[in-house]
Amino acid sequence: MTWRFGLVESTFTPLLTSHWALAAALCLPLLFGVLAAILPPRRMWPVALACPPILVAGLYLLTDTLHAGLLRWQWEFFGVSVALRLNGLSILLLLLTQWMGAAAALYTPGLLRISEPERFARWLWPLMGVVTSALSLAWLATDLLTLYIALEMMGLAAVAMLLLSGKAAALQAGMRYLLLTLVGSLAYLLGVALIVGYWGRLDLAGLAQVMEPGPVAWMAAALMGAGLALKAALFPLHGWLSPVHASAWTPVSALHAGLVVKASLFVLLQLWSLLLPDAFWAPRLIAWMGMLAIIWGGLIAWRAESLKTLVASSTVAQLGYLMVVFPLLIGPDTSPLARALAWEGFWLQLMGHALAKAAMFMSAGNLILATGETTLKGLAGTSRRLPLSLLVFGVASVTLMGLPPSAGFTAKWLLLHAMVVSQQWLAVAALLVGTLLTAAYIFRFFRYSFMETAPRQRYQPLAPGMDMIALCLALAAFVLGLLAHFPLELLQGGSA
Amino acid sequence: MITFFDGVEVGLALCMVTAALFCLFDRHLLRACCFFVGFALCMALAWLILEAPWLAGVEGLIGALLTAPCLFYALGSFSHAAKLPPYDHIREPLSRGVIRTLLALAWCLMVGATVRFIFPEMVYSPTEHPLLLAGIVMIATAMGAFAWHRHLVRRLLAFNVMGSGVFLLLAGLAGTNAQGQALITVGLVVAWLGSLLGALVIRRLYQLEGQIALSGESALKEKGK
Repeated sequence: MTWRFGLVESTFTPLLTSHWALAAALCLPLLFGVLAAILPPRRMWPVALACPPILVAGLYLLTDTLHAGLLRWQWEFFGVSVALRLNGLSILLLLLTQWMGAAAALYTPGLLRISEPERFARWLWPLMGVVTSALSLAWLATDLLTLYIALEMMGLAAVAMLLLSGKAAALQAGMRYLLLTLVGSLAYLLGVALIVGYWGRLDLAGLAQVMEPGPVAWMAAALMGAGLALKAALFPLHGWLSPVHASAWTPVSALHAGLVVKASLFVLLQLWSLLLPDAFWAPRLIAWMGMLAIIWGGLIAWRAESLKTLVASSTVAQLGYLMVVFPLLIGPDTSPLARALAWEGFWLQLMGHALAKAAMFMSAGNLILATGETTLKGLAGTSRRLPLSLLVFGVASVTLMGLPPSAGFTAKWLLLHAMVVSQQWLAVAALLVGTLLTAAYIFRFFRYSFMETAPRQRYQPLAPGMDMIALCLALAAFVLGLLAHFPLELLQGGSA
Repeated sequence: MITFFDGVEVGLALCMVTAALFCLFDRHLLRACCFFVGFALCMALAWLILEAPWLAGVEGLIGALLTAPCLFYALGSFSHAAKLPPYDHIREPLSRGVIRTLLALAWCLMVGATVRFIFPEMVYSPTEHPLLLAGIVMIATAMGAFAWHRHLVRRLLAFNVMGSGVFLLLAGLAGTNAQGQALITVGLVVAWLGSLLGALVIRRLYQLEGQIALSGESALKEKGK
């Protein structure tokens, strides 16, 4: 697994221009965020001017990775060495972060213009910048210290963003999230303490060589796993997720459910594949929890009264799909074919879900903003007046349900293939039940929205582009499914 | 000289645990926060003894000068209106407390066993690393307090004490080399930012709703005076 995560020596040293591209990708979001706090953009065009340099830096790094296969950077600050790597997987996730960050940033001015003036709106920009930078760093970091910095920057900025709406409900949910994420970070730090105390190093590549299974590795894996599972809202620890989204601003929810939660999962998988390469029970425990998550999240979403709860609970269920794959990725007795398929399916599912979930949160936000109603019953009859927002919701839910030609379909196809090859019939059943439940709660919402007898309401017109951005994200999930061979090639690129 | 040094270390560890216990279990909130300041100063001394002057400076600056004002701000000590009630009167059902204490104990045993595995010689001389032991005790009690208390300021205090325990454990296990110091510095900054954010939210929640505990767990709420 270490080569899959790019934790090996690279043959090429990065060019000078790659250094600049890396610096731009990591620092420009922060810089623009601070600029936007000083001069808050009221229209879309200043944001549209700010995004291209970051996106171009990302694309430049992509071409570099395509040429070199694996890039590594290493610096030494006051005796502490910091290492970053860029392989196929991390460049894909970096690009995803940048484009989704750009979409969320472009969406924001319209939202702020048509909703009532908010007291803390100005703070959204720097926090968004911090989250984007920290996410980019989390995908690249290869030592426990940098990972810790990235996770904490991301976690604290995410909490602050979710608190910004300032309502009492948001404060309550945000406070619970803050306390849990802080305790989660202490659990992670305790795991790091055990690792450093026993093996005396922080870099993952070096640890992979000296690491041996034993009580210390298990304990560290348990501590870090508990902390990161809490941050990633994995099943029994997901309680904080839906209340947090219930009163958050739309672009914040999109970024949080799409990416922030996934970053903790990424770190969890990366650390466990180092610490527990041959563990039998730990990944199976995660997988069983994942099956429960699929069913529980689906049922909660099915019974949900409010649209935001539906979308947030569906995140719990969709994370369940990723948890079910754990025994195929980590564990002693998996055939190479099944492992390769599971690896591809895992990341494709993660990326497809990130795009679709962001699109879904944006369209749900649009519907709620336009009608002023948050419950499914209140949103009855929206099909006549807001067809575009509803269309976006539909396109996004195609990916969540896993119907062709979306990324969700391709990912589930790969995962099913891997599960059938390794004869994990329970996981196959969970995946199928999950698909049915997803269809059930999506169509429950559509049944309400196509009601013809609903009374006519006054609708607030949306700002231009708000629907189009959501539509672009939802379509990107389709494109990812149709052109899946390119990301899949990148994902397997480190195999040489 | 060595015995003297050990004596200082043991005394400091005892002081620290006492301050932590008072800080965690005193229902008078202002006094608990004052004990936290004393606790932070003890931590700074501990870093000096562990030959990490940089950490001592950071701890003094962040723990005593930056985090403590956040806690006092959360209590409303700086404003004349809307002070939080001085005592925490929330009573917990005993069963919940017992379960959570047992969980914290089990957790403490698990960490202790792992530490023993890393430091096999500790069995023969358990007082060799008094600060490490203090760290484990602090983590366990703070964990119990975090699970038991409902008052938000007290939970924030418990988190801070737990963080200090983790830092001591880290320093005891990994030594105070550059890596360990970097990790602890980042941890201190994170703890401060978390406390700052928490204090702002507590203040605002109290002003909006008169709440000092998270509802939803049960309907126990304490309105203002």
